Amino acid sequence: MNSAELALRNVRKSLRDYAIYFMTMTIGICIFYVFNSLGSQQAVMELSGAQSLTMRMLDRLVGGFSLFISLILCFLIIYANGFLIKRRKKEFGLYLTLGMERGQIARILALETLFMSLAALVAGLLLGALLAQGMALVTASLLGVKIGGFHFIFSLAAAGKTVVYFGLAFGLTLFFNMWQLKRQHLIDLLYAGRQNERSRAPHPPVAAALFLLSLLILAAAYLITAARLYQSPLLLYALLALGAVGTFLFFFSLAGFLFTALRRTKLYLRDLNMFVLRQLSSKINTAYVSIALVCLMLFLSICSLSSGLGLARAINEDLRANAPYDATLILRSKNGGPFAPAGLPAAAEENGANLAGFAAASGAAVFREAADLNLNFTAGREKASLYLLGLTEYNAALALQGAPPVTLPPDKYALNIGASGADWDKALGQFTAGGGEITLGGRSLSTESALWRHYVLEVSTRSNTDIVVVAADELVAGRPALKEVLFINYPQPDLTYEQKCLAALSEPDIRAADGAELSALVETRIQVADYTGNSTATIGYLAIYMGAVFLLASATVLAIGQLSEASDNIRRYRLLSQLGADAKMLQQALFRQILIYFGAPLLLALVHSAVGIKAAGAIMLKVGGFHILGASIVSALIMVLVYGGYFFATYRGGKNMVGL
Amino acid sequence: MAAVLQAKNLEKYYGNKNNLTKALDGISFSVGAGEFLGVMGASGSGKTTLLNCLSTIDAVTAGQILIGGRDITTMSGKTLARFRRETLGFIFQDFNLLDTLTAFENIALALTILRRPAKTIETQVREVAAVLGITDVLAKFPAQMSGGQRQRVASARAIVTAPALVLADEPTGALDSKSARALLESFQHLVRARGATILMVTHDPFSASYCRRILFIRDGRIFQELVRGDESRKEFFDQIIEVVSLLGGDRDELR
Repeated sequence: MNSAELALRNVRKSLRDYAIYFMTMTIGICIFYVFNSLGSQQAVMELSGAQSLTMRMLDRLVGGFSLFISLILCFLIIYANGFLIKRRKKEFGLYLTLGMERGQIARILALETLFMSLAALVAGLLLGALLAQGMALVTASLLGVKIGGFHFIFSLAAAGKTVVYFGLAFGLTLFFNMWQLKRQHLIDLLYAGRQNERSRAPHPPVAAALFLLSLLILAAAYLITAARLYQSPLLLYALLALGAVGTFLFFFSLAGFLFTALRRTKLYLRDLNMFVLRQLSSKINTAYVSIALVCLMLFLSICSLSSGLGLARAINEDLRANAPYDATLILRSKNGGPFAPAGLPAAAEENGANLAGFAAASGAAVFREAADLNLNFTAGREKASLYLLGLTEYNAALALQGAPPVTLPPDKYALNIGASGADWDKALGQFTAGGGEITLGGRSLSTESALWRHYVLEVSTRSNTDIVVVAADELVAGRPALKEVLFINYPQPDLTYEQKCLAALSEPDIRAADGAELSALVETRIQVADYTGNSTATIGYLAIYMGAVFLLASATVLAIGQLSEASDNIRRYRLLSQLGADAKMLQQALFRQILIYFGAPLLLALVHSAVGIKAAGAIMLKVGGFHILGASIVSALIMVLVYGGYFFATYRGGKNMVGL
Repeated sequence: MAAVLQAKNLEKYYGNKNNLTKALDGISFSVGAGEFLGVMGASGSGKTTLLNCLSTIDAVTAGQILIGGRDITTMSGKTLARFRRETLGFIFQDFNLLDTLTAFENIALALTILRRPAKTIETQVREVAAVLGITDVLAKFPAQMSGGQRQRVASARAIVTAPALVLADEPTGALDSKSARALLESFQHLVRARGATILMVTHDPFSASYCRRILFIRDGRIFQELVRGDESRKEFFDQIIEVVSLLGGDRDELR
């Protein structure tokens, strides 16, 4: 019999052990494929189209996760492989005693894993293609995105990448196997089953100390997060590493700590608690790596889900802020410099635009040059544009968006800043503390917080970072313009007015008073709605998609981990039953065992997420309205449904197995 | 001496009417309180079936089994589980300890299953451990103990609940002779010191020689009964060997 035949026969013989290996590998490959095929998803393509901004964000988002996914894949392979080797040691020992050489055994093992891995590769890719498709449909419908002309997509690029990465990981595992096989003494192989697995676990007092250490590390990571000391990427990675180390240490020492803590209590000697505790500690001690990983995946999943849903909700908020009028026409000089105002709306009317045909109300404002004011604050927004605007025009613009007017005391100026948030308040505070004085038209002016406003004075898809100094009309008049804006409100939000407006203003040939060529830009609320709706939805879609994949992956890893214990558990529960434990007691023990096993990583992940989301929410709030709380509740519901479903399936499966 | 166990006309049939195996074919006997009874027989004699029926794991086809005056053949599921944990103790050939639990926990488990108050458990476990000489290994896991220690832990687990009857299935089967002797001496000690009643199934004459009375089973029937009177253990052993050679040897089948 040659090696290949023996290997095939072995695979058939230990199909049960291999089934777990196979399933783990398949899931790993499936996740990997799903992620890498994101870009080719129909829904994504339809959402983003040629919008470069969205595509850039998508790239960055996926790129960040890609590394993590590769690590997960690698880990899953090594985990499954280690599990396999452990089960097979005795068999290899037997081959050795029968006179087989280590090289031959290595070849058999390599062939066995190769067969299984190839099968897993095919299954994983198929499953991945299906999952990607299904998830695309679900997430798209969640966000109310229509996918036209549905057809099945298989991404060859993603499949190719999966094969390459997978090949690398497989090679690595093979090398690891050979090394392990070479290192082992025959006696250890033969008696592998009898070795005490708990020897690797720390002693309870040591574990308790390590547990405290892990809590300290996590607390440090939380504090850093809460204090937002992670601005540079390097610090962010360090923070993530800190959190990961803390998490691993947490689960490494959890069992020992629980044991030390509970041992002296009455609970320990009640019913089957002792048994449950030992079951968990033996399981957690051998599988703490996978449990910690599951915890991190759950953390990502929760963050991803709530950000995704939060973004979906934020769409409407954005719209209100970024499109305060039905439409605006913005004139700028083609060379980017200052120009003499053309005089809106008259200039547009002269050009043939009949404003009365589509505008119930309109107004115009000239945003003038202000670089010489030396207004020295930016609140970290170096690219903010600075303008000067007359009070009358400003109040007219405010009135058109239904905002109350501003009254300027003499020798004062007002500030209008498109963006808002704590950072701006701080910057403004510092600015005023430094005097905040400017000289305009030979007069010295100052400002005060009562004169600060946060309004967007145009319709635009970009988030507004304009800083506008509002001063008395006579001080502003005669200065060259940087942009001229025409504000338009339709009689009703109606597409016919939109069409008329776009037709009249799309390409007006308006020249500046000094003859400079001007570029004109019309943007409407309906356009902004489409655009922000789409780009935010794309990101939201991705986030929900990833969250769901992580959620599925972690629940599956846990379920497999628990079911892989089945053979040992069957024996233990049968013995308990022989000792006279009744069905109710056994069910309760099994339930608790699986509940804690599923619950521990979830609980820590929830704490991680609470801290993380709070920080993330703070970041997002800086960007724009972002309602994370409601989204968190919805994502918690999703978590409960999916994760809880897995939990009960595992519990039922376990119950069937031990014959309850 | 009050009878702890009374077996009346036990019959257990396997198979169908074309191919009937009578594993138990009308066995009757009784075991008194504080007795150390041995059951011997060759493979296939029906001794394992007998033990399974006594231990409520299997049901008899006909006959009555009274343990502590209660008929277990008429009990149903839940009552049976309750009866098993309150009245019986088990010792198996392969120890059947839980590998994830320490010796202490393995013994205490029998008590927590009975929902005994937590306060009393520790003392009870230590008491039994002292009788069996395993106080030193209480903190160890089964994998860290010798076979003899494991079996004594298993015995402690069986006896700690003070059951009316302890059923031991080839308890020395997986032990070396020294550990076997130590274990059997502890059995004798348990009978004497704690008034335990032990029914031990074995095919090893040496182990059986520690019993006060031995039932020999062949083809599902009681073939002979030996009671140890004032003989030394050596003499009793010789008697056992004689019966065993009759039992298994089938002298009349030799030509």
